[in-house]
Amino acid sequence: MPDLCLYFQAHQPNRLKPYTFFDIGKDPFYEDDELNRDILSGVSERCYLPANDLFTDLIEQNPGKVKLTLSLSGVFLEQLEHHRPDVLASFQDLVATGSVELLCETYYHSLSYRASGEEFVRQVEKQKAMLKRLFDFEPTIFRHTELIYFNELAAFVEEMGFKAQLAEGVERVLKGRSPNHLYRAPNVTEIKTVLRNNTLSDDVAFRFADPNWNGYPLTPEKYAKWVSESGGEVAGIFLDYETIGEHIHRDQGVFDFWKGLPAALDEADIAMTTPSEVVEKFKVKDEYDCHEITSWADTSKDLSAWKSNPMQEEAKAKILSLEKAVKSHDNPELLHQWSKMQTSDHFYYMCTKGGADGEVHAHFSPYDSPYDAYLCFMNALSDLQVRVGA
Amino acid sequence: MLGWEFPPLINGGLGIACLGLGRALAKHVDLTFILPQTDPAFMVDQVNLIGLNHLSERELECMQKTDELRSFAEVELIAADLQPYVEAELVAREKMSTDGQTFSKYDRWSEDTGLAMFSKKGALYGEDVNARVVAYARASAALAETKDFDIIHAHDWMTFLAGMEIKARTGKPLVLHVHSLSYDRAGPEARGWIFDIEKLAMEAADLVIPVSHYTGTICTGHYGIEASKVCPVHNGADPVEAYRTEKPFPEKLVLFLGRVTGQKGPRFFLEIASKVLKEDRNVRFVMAGTGERLRELIEYGAFRDVGDRLHFTGFLNREKVNELLSMTDVYCMPSVSEPFGLSALEAVQFDIPAVISKQSGVAEVLTKARKADYWDVDLLAQHIIDLISDEKAHAKAVAASKEDQQNCTWERAAERVTDLYEERFPVSVF
Repeated sequence: MPDLCLYFQAHQPNRLKPYTFFDIGKDPFYEDDELNRDILSGVSERCYLPANDLFTDLIEQNPGKVKLTLSLSGVFLEQLEHHRPDVLASFQDLVATGSVELLCETYYHSLSYRASGEEFVRQVEKQKAMLKRLFDFEPTIFRHTELIYFNELAAFVEEMGFKAQLAEGVERVLKGRSPNHLYRAPNVTEIKTVLRNNTLSDDVAFRFADPNWNGYPLTPEKYAKWVSESGGEVAGIFLDYETIGEHIHRDQGVFDFWKGLPAALDEADIAMTTPSEVVEKFKVKDEYDCHEITSWADTSKDLSAWKSNPMQEEAKAKILSLEKAVKSHDNPELLHQWSKMQTSDHFYYMCTKGGADGEVHAHFSPYDSPYDAYLCFMNALSDLQVRVGA
Repeated sequence: MLGWEFPPLINGGLGIACLGLGRALAKHVDLTFILPQTDPAFMVDQVNLIGLNHLSERELECMQKTDELRSFAEVELIAADLQPYVEAELVAREKMSTDGQTFSKYDRWSEDTGLAMFSKKGALYGEDVNARVVAYARASAALAETKDFDIIHAHDWMTFLAGMEIKARTGKPLVLHVHSLSYDRAGPEARGWIFDIEKLAMEAADLVIPVSHYTGTICTGHYGIEASKVCPVHNGADPVEAYRTEKPFPEKLVLFLGRVTGQKGPRFFLEIASKVLKEDRNVRFVMAGTGERLRELIEYGAFRDVGDRLHFTGFLNREKVNELLSMTDVYCMPSVSEPFGLSALEAVQFDIPAVISKQSGVAEVLTKARKADYWDVDLLAQHIIDLISDEKAHAKAVAASKEDQQNCTWERAAERVTDLYEERFPVSVF
């Protein structure tokens, strides 16, 4: 009987305003504050506040049994602090129950690492400081943006002192093995890899509300049964927090599902656990040899959501190339602005994929097209270049 | 005169040229302009503007003489002299079509051919442009019969059908003013309805006035029109209120202005930008305008790694265009085929030297501007580098072009057109 490790990601990017050529050199503010505030508030009402209340209640009603893992991006926490301190307080209440583990990630929800180890470390340290300040929490487990993972990164993260890193259980790396075990990269000594169970996670993240799915309607009991049958030591159910109430609406029964799940799990004798408990409790079963860069995004589980056309490549390369010039200015506000433009969502909006992946990209994008997203980003980038003299 | 676009309803290049020429010509001749749409609040001194949008179907019927009406009804859609052509096209379509939809396009004509087509402001093109062209021909031919005039002067293919119909009914001489051809818009391989109308009309015309010698060579060479009746008259350029503003960034600015379509050579502009940037990073390129090649070019710009130096603005209104011109250092027009290219003259008025392709009419007017074949991106790039890196050369180029530009007026164009009228149709009394 596997344990259930339930982890939610909460993140909101700082979307750019329609920044035109005529703004270059004139307007040093790139973000659409109003849009970002409105989206944050909307999602707060539909998801963050009611979901936090739900899990706080569940934890209080089932002390020691209901356990939760959260990762909250730095830019998201910053938005909450600025626009919705009440929502931040509700997250703080939830964490204060003691049954919530917080993960560490890059503060800016960025794709950085390969381009600059120094910048990666800076963003991780910044996130740690944020979690310490807001939650008095010191994370020991790491997850990179959208569960980006590969051997080299695992080794680097180990160097930074983390005990485990979360990753997508990618079939082409697992080669038929179950994701429900604890794994280790071949090039590390201690750090463990906790994998996402793709099928069970997507059942609740994507298929839940699809009436054409043969698992529909999904009840907590049915789900608990599937988990119990999935084998191994731990089923990693990793998903966006926004699936509760935002991507899947309240009237589709998503709150009822999560409310009923603890009892159903209890009934099925499935324990809820957190990554740091998993790392203590279980031994490494096998090697997870992941040379290519994987993630939980799109159907291809790779970097293609942010890196599959020349616009994304150029935008990403050019913003990262400003590192030296920006840092030479010793201007914290400028550094912060530059860093926020590394947030992965900017490149996600530029994706020109079609099909089901394309629909998901379009759903999240505030722009009419990936081309608009690119032009707006490049204009803002040009202004930044002018300001730093690059 | 028969026109299609006209300010203030449509401010495209054709409309601006028709207004400029019409206004100047009215000082020499009695001028009536028949247009699909006019704005009653907009009047031009000494020009009688008739908008079909202000004409009722009933008024039109009263104008039509019974027999002509019958002849029109017999052919249903189109003037008699075009009937064989329509049949040929129908036969061709019938051959291609196997699903019984053969006549759908023509059926729609018979439903819509009325003045109602011109009631929606600004809607002159689109899917049913052909039907509008026929409706315009019907109505203007009927109108023409109520008027006393000596010469038919039609602007571009949309009005050529009307011109031919009026000539057939009245026997008056037909002058075709060629602002652009299907060759320019769709490439040398383009064939079909528009090409055929252009060719037929130019063959039937008594005088063809292309806006440049360059376009004249297309008329004679590509369309096979007898050279003796092709007499180019360069467009004028109305003075614009030019000003300069400080750029908010340190780099030089090179501007492309126009529709992002193959004819305007946007891809060549991108190649030029890429070449210049290899020599000098301190330049920004702006492509202002929209068109079917836009997305492809945006992505290609990223591929060429120039996305932070090549900016796409999309469509801009006049005010924004002027703002852009006011800070531009070099104007670049690498058109693949440009009958005239008024924007280059406007740029000169903003003290901007133009680097233009030899395949443009304006190259004949701006005699001292730097030119190259549109495909010679190396030379075009070199011209730009010369102008942005050498202030003296820049100032010299501006001064030289200014002189050329000042000679380029609608008054001159109107005088030349009047001379041609008198020379070609001496019986007319002005």
